[in-house]
Amino acid sequence: MAPSLLLVGGLILYPIAYNLWLSLFDKHAFLPAQTFVGLGNYRYFATDPEFWSSVWYGTVYAASTIVLQLVLGVLAALLLNEGFRGRTLLRGVVLFPYMIPTIVAVILWKWLLNDSYGLVNSVLVGADLVRVPPAWLGRDWIMWSLIVTSVWQFFPFVVVTYLARLQTIPPELYEAATVDGAGAGRRFLHVTLPQTRSVLFVIVLLRSIWMFTKFDTVWLMAGEGGVGRYIRTLPVYAYSRTFTYLQAGMGATLAVLMFGLLVGATAVYFGLFRDEEAV
Amino acid sequence: MDRVEGAVTTRRRFLAGAAAAGAAALAGRAPAVLGQPARELHVWHTEVEPQTVRTIQETSIAEFERKFPGFKVRQQALGWGDLNTKLLAAIAAGNPPDLTHLNPFMTASLYTKGLLRPMDELVRAIGEKDIHPAVRTLQLFDGKYYGVTHAMGAIFICERRDLREQKKLKPVETYDDLVTLAAALTEDGRRWGITIPGEKLYMGFTFPAEWLASNGGSWVDPKTWRPQLRSKAMLETLEFLQRLNRSMPPSWAGQKYLDTLAALATGKVAMIYLSGARTIGYIERYAPEGLRDPDHFQPMFKPRGPSGHKGISSLDGENWAVFSQSRYPDEAFEFLRIFYKREHYLKYCHSVPIHLSPIFTPMLGDPEYLAHPRIRKWRSWHDFMMAGLKAERFLPIGFSRPDDKLVPFLAELDGSGIVADLIVEVMVGGKSPATEAERAQRRAEELLTQLGFKRWS
Repeated sequence: MAPSLLLVGGLILYPIAYNLWLSLFDKHAFLPAQTFVGLGNYRYFATDPEFWSSVWYGTVYAASTIVLQLVLGVLAALLLNEGFRGRTLLRGVVLFPYMIPTIVAVILWKWLLNDSYGLVNSVLVGADLVRVPPAWLGRDWIMWSLIVTSVWQFFPFVVVTYLARLQTIPPELYEAATVDGAGAGRRFLHVTLPQTRSVLFVIVLLRSIWMFTKFDTVWLMAGEGGVGRYIRTLPVYAYSRTFTYLQAGMGATLAVLMFGLLVGATAVYFGLFRDEEAV
Repeated sequence: MDRVEGAVTTRRRFLAGAAAAGAAALAGRAPAVLGQPARELHVWHTEVEPQTVRTIQETSIAEFERKFPGFKVRQQALGWGDLNTKLLAAIAAGNPPDLTHLNPFMTASLYTKGLLRPMDELVRAIGEKDIHPAVRTLQLFDGKYYGVTHAMGAIFICERRDLREQKKLKPVETYDDLVTLAAALTEDGRRWGITIPGEKLYMGFTFPAEWLASNGGSWVDPKTWRPQLRSKAMLETLEFLQRLNRSMPPSWAGQKYLDTLAALATGKVAMIYLSGARTIGYIERYAPEGLRDPDHFQPMFKPRGPSGHKGISSLDGENWAVFSQSRYPDEAFEFLRIFYKREHYLKYCHSVPIHLSPIFTPMLGDPEYLAHPRIRKWRSWHDFMMAGLKAERFLPIGFSRPDDKLVPFLAELDGSGIVADLIVEVMVGGKSPATEAERAQRRAEELLTQLGFKRWS
């Protein structure tokens, strides 16, 4: 019991408590001196336009990627649940994006989307679909490019999780539905979806938390300057406040606010959908 | 029971074996753990080119380790953009390197916090009066030296001279000239007139410092330190940038410095706003055959603004510094004496010619230095830098005026991204310069107040 308490306390409770404590101070990132400001940092961010824009960008990013991951992941899982030649190989291949390091995935997509040398524009211009190559990594498209990169990298998680659940659905349910005259669509709606509701609940919950707190993909896509401005999500802003503004207290405050937002959203999510689960 | 006893025996055997393996591994690390302490001198620098790292290892480090047996030098080459963050994390952890490069705009910040050691003796030993005036006193605070520049390299516009001459246009002198030239060299769908890197450190700090310096402005009021982001100098600059943006690729804000070098070399753009001697490497590798020479690719001084007297470019040159917390400061200074020994320093500068120009005035004209094949071929670039030094057209990176070396919060201003956001919103977002400048001013004043640097009322 004691070692696990030590582990939980040391690795989880202490960092959270220290972060909370730090958020009450005005503290330079590397100077030891600090000044107690109480809720001053929180009051500052309540009216900080940068904070609200980062919440907005984070919400757009998380919501868009989750919806697309779900759609793509569920479709892929349904397909991979059917029997066909090469299915085993394809099941392995579909995992590839999830297995490669994020830095590799981002570099790959940045090269594909490069407006001067990228394959995507090469194909579009070559096929006469566009006259002027779109600036996929420019202001107008950077959020979409980020979403596409993230969906590509993380939809395999949905595939694997959903496919595992699909494979435990008793085939008799589908047979009965078929006998009753249900087509593929109705079988999905009335058999597959109800049977997989619980796993979808968990997938959406986990992916939401992970996408809202994602730092590496966003940071690698555009860094801090230039177009980074237009995808500056809350984790990136918290990092900036701590390590580039050199305001560790403010960075800690943003982390607490992010935690609070996620707890609130999770509570709402559970409130809306958990009762349906119980039924 | 037998099975349990067998399992216990196996576990004991395993633990005994692991202990023996661990002891053998420790013994293998001779002589460090066997009573002779292995001391490591940690040296961080920003010259990441493999040939430079190798040169340092084979010259300065090799000689130092011969002179000081029992010491190992661990050099770490960091990307320029990574240096500040990693350094600050190391300082916060109480474990900074013994010797490091610093950006000049960081040095004042660390000096005012009492984190640096003076190095007057070293500077005198290596030849104080031989150090070029452009860099000699950059780290002179309260009559003491707290740093010495490792090497210097000018930053300027690099242009396709042949394309400009086809249009019968002269090298630029003013903002309007640059807008006109960039527009003239833009061919819709084929080539853009100019590009700048979208990284925060450049477009959000290095260039704004140059623009302010070239247009009679400055980061802050010299007496009150009040930010000057809504000054006439800044507003004129923002209007110039909005016009220039029409001749820039739409994705410029997502491009990194090296992307712009590649774009110039391959003909996607006719000029790049940030160019040092590293551009030569890209030209020689990627430019079409027949164009890989200084007749086609030429440096150009940065233009002045309507309120400025002369265009100012940045002089890239980090300074060596030794921390108060350094475990081996004496050895760090000894390392620097060896580093600046002529035979080692020449090889160091030759590892990336022109980009690493020596800080010693006599060496800049030394035939042995100038005999390097790349310097011979691209001599005009070297001469261009010499002309700029003579005409005092350079300031250290991030400085809007010489006395910015005394401003202790430039690192925080750079880190905040306030100016980067301003530039991007005006250029890319097309927003009103006056509105965005006002917003940036407010944010900067808030930041400096939070940091405790407010002197204005």
